[in-house]
Amino acid sequence: MVELGPNHTIISPSISELKWDWEISDRLLQIQLATKKKLENQYKSEIHEIRIGFRTLGILWNRLPDTNHLQHFLDENKEPKTSALPTKTWKIPVCYEDEFAQDLPQLAKSKNMSPEDLIKLHSQNHYRIHFFGFLPGFMYLQGLAEKLYSARKSVPDRNIAAGSVAIGGSQTGIYPTNSPGGWHVIGRSPSSFFDAKKIPPVWASPGDLIRFYPITKEEFFRLGKSHDQPNLL
Amino acid sequence: MIKDPASLAILKTGPGTSIQDLGRVGFGQFGIPISGALDIIATKWVNHLLKNKESEAVLEISQPGLKIHFEAPTQICLAGAKSKVFLNGNQVNTEGLIEIDFGDLVEIGEILIGSKIYLGIKHGFRIHPVMQSKSFYEGILGTGNLKKGDQIGYFTNHEKPISSSVNVKFDRNWMCSETIVAYRGPEWHFLLDTEKELIVTTSFTVSSLQNRMAIQLNELIPNSLEEMATAAVYPGTVQLTSGGKMIVLMKDAQVTGGYPRVLQLPELSIAQIAQKKPGERITFEIEKGFDFSKPH
Repeated sequence: MVELGPNHTIISPSISELKWDWEISDRLLQIQLATKKKLENQYKSEIHEIRIGFRTLGILWNRLPDTNHLQHFLDENKEPKTSALPTKTWKIPVCYEDEFAQDLPQLAKSKNMSPEDLIKLHSQNHYRIHFFGFLPGFMYLQGLAEKLYSARKSVPDRNIAAGSVAIGGSQTGIYPTNSPGGWHVIGRSPSSFFDAKKIPPVWASPGDLIRFYPITKEEFFRLGKSHDQPNLL
Repeated sequence: MIKDPASLAILKTGPGTSIQDLGRVGFGQFGIPISGALDIIATKWVNHLLKNKESEAVLEISQPGLKIHFEAPTQICLAGAKSKVFLNGNQVNTEGLIEIDFGDLVEIGEILIGSKIYLGIKHGFRIHPVMQSKSFYEGILGTGNLKKGDQIGYFTNHEKPISSSVNVKFDRNWMCSETIVAYRGPEWHFLLDTEKELIVTTSFTVSSLQNRMAIQLNELIPNSLEEMATAAVYPGTVQLTSGGKMIVLMKDAQVTGGYPRVLQLPELSIAQIAQKKPGERITFEIEKGFDFSKPH
């Protein structure tokens, strides 16, 4: 496969974006992470921050550098040397029991499977963290089994509890704080996913893997009392 | 110079009063919004007149009816929307600096021009920054909005300042202009020519569906754009939904989004739109070329 370099577009005097017309994949994430690092090293004082998207790097500039220089730099780094993605895997406890899984029975029914099979499908895969967005500490994950893809609700729920594990479209995710949302809630984790008092306020990084493992309600409440962040596999 | 701690108390407030500075830049990678004052022109102005750092935190006020009790002497300054202001029940001139004495009551009355009022205070508010910013955002700092009974710290030298001669008028002409300068967003080029034409010729109405996250416009732009893979969005990003809704993202906007981004507004345009009342009109003017060599 011929890998095309990214297109760079300057949007405003403080924003530009790199976009790859590729499939969302681990390979693309590797390239995005390598390119991000290169840019941050080269333009340390000019860049406020770089935000990863599924196919993009959004760059917020404190001061745009000379555009010819920037384009030259990007051309030279079309195929950056990449490092392997982490094998680091965070084990996230999830209670899939009724009390925390209001949409699980309906979702399983619509998929013609038992709730147990749905839980098994959801908790057997590894999911790759691509970036944080939507809410502070919300992880955008790839790796949901295609069988579990489900259209978002047409009318979003007004309040989804912090820690809720849900499925929307081709994605699964965890609500780090109470929030309105249109995804199907299938469980809840007692872990903490965001702490504004810590730097960094999240425990995982883009590129890391996560896995969900089912726990009982008793374990949920026991863990909840002391639980801070998940353990590594 | 004596700088002792003092407090002000919120005796009454409508929704939409919060502390804001120039924002929390650089934490989007953790999903944290930039936040900060919707109108940085007014924010910088009040800090300038008070001889504060231009990035000092100010009160952002969206509704009339705010009533504040000041414990000890200081100076305050108001800019942004023009409103009636009462000091111990008497209407005062709102341009320049306002001297505050022990136990003074300040009340914000009817808003006459614009939509957001900014109140700055000498030496700034005594708030511990979180991630380099004093901007309120629920879950990061404060409760989002201030409510009745809240107290905020500031600094006093215990002496009522002598009436100052600073009496320069805050220019509001830019606020009243209907023309909003916009850059083309990343998905602009996917629009059909007729759709582009409609965006630049439509006189849009600012809707009442608005908060610190986003302002919706009433008029629809039917379009053929597809949803896209989630990518970065910023304050000033204008999203176009498949249903044709134009959503102008404001300072508390999420850091990523999946709707096509058709326009990107610079800071002055964000301030301009934030100062529009629901029902007021705007027209977008596309800024095609700009000088890349100049710092923003």
